[in-house]
Amino acid sequence: MLSDALILDLSANLAPVRRRHPMREGAMLLALGGFELALLLGLGLMRPDMSQMIATPYMLWKLCGLALLAGVACMGAIRSFSPTVRPRMGVMVTLGLAMVLMIAGAFVTPNHHAGQAWLTRLAPLQGMACATSIVVLSLPIMAMLSVLMHRGAPTHPQGSATASGLAASTLGAFIFAFCCRVNDPLYIAVWYCVACAAVTITARWLLPRRFRL
Amino acid sequence: MRSSFLSALMPKPSSGAARPAPGATDEWSGLMVAAQAGHGGAYRRLLGEMSLWLQRYFQRRLPPGEVDDAVQETLLALHRRRHTYDPAYPLGPWLAAIAKRKWIDQLRLLSRRPTEELPENLSVGDHEAAVTSTSVLASLLDQLKPAQAQVIRLVKVQGYSIEEASRATGLSVPAVKMNIHRGLASLTAFIEKTSDVE
Repeated sequence: MLSDALILDLSANLAPVRRRHPMREGAMLLALGGFELALLLGLGLMRPDMSQMIATPYMLWKLCGLALLAGVACMGAIRSFSPTVRPRMGVMVTLGLAMVLMIAGAFVTPNHHAGQAWLTRLAPLQGMACATSIVVLSLPIMAMLSVLMHRGAPTHPQGSATASGLAASTLGAFIFAFCCRVNDPLYIAVWYCVACAAVTITARWLLPRRFRL
Repeated sequence: MRSSFLSALMPKPSSGAARPAPGATDEWSGLMVAAQAGHGGAYRRLLGEMSLWLQRYFQRRLPPGEVDDAVQETLLALHRRRHTYDPAYPLGPWLAAIAKRKWIDQLRLLSRRPTEELPENLSVGDHEAAVTSTSVLASLLDQLKPAQAQVIRLVKVQGYSIEEASRATGLSVPAVKMNIHRGLASLTAFIEKTSDVE
């Protein structure tokens, strides 16, 4: 029987394997995010008024919200690399949390922004630059998640790729939030979402390629 | 119809074929831990027992000509991904999840394979019809549009050529091909969305 020959072949000279540890993978991701943040801060790219802004409701909303979102998204992505976990739940929780945070943003909008025209508030040129920066910061994280995904055993590779894209983009957005000088939740909601969508779509398209369980 | 179909697909306690029996997986879990540490003998025994379970699993879900390929593909996947098994959890769901993925992959492969090139002697008609009539695959086919189910049953399971299926059903050759392709795609998408199919 062909399977018998295959079994003999597979079990001959069997090498020990290093078991997969989701905690270790999470720590690696955290280390990469920490390195990127340290690099940005080391280059002096942190917004100059951070010491005054850090205690404002807007900045707390932005930093805590994005940290929470990135944490949930990364956890969902790493969990989905196990064959028994469906990525859909992690993706839905991340998207739900993003919606809640965007609604919460309406309550921390500084008063002077409320009367301005939408186009002025969105500042498209600056917004494009912010979105591009988030995409660039997300790429190394996406690369690491791709390696982790290919080392894992996701049984829903497309879903895991989507979860990985969300994780990479939200972590990239969190890191960029330390540099972003705009204090308008509408701007954050729109341009950060654009960047996250771009990274997620790219990951969804790119990561399942050449993946074979 | 959809809801009755879904309820029919819910795993039944007595069937137990979608996942290996808990007693067996307790033992398999120990063997897998030994295999992860590089114990070839334990691994050989584990793969031997798993291949028998996989054989039964795929016999109920795939046309007979596809079973051996599916078993071997799954064994290779288990080998490549053996480091992802966590002994803190039972081995049954881990094995079943990988087997289900390979089932879906095999169905996808079946839908992509050019139907014209199927050999005439692919199967023995009556015997296979008897086997598949009681299988999970047959019950899933019943949920497709009748025309799709009929041509998949004829061409992919019973080994008819496209032309023979066209004559038997009264459909044109392109319509037979389209129904096979769309039917297998619907089947694959459905299985992917369903947590367990039995």
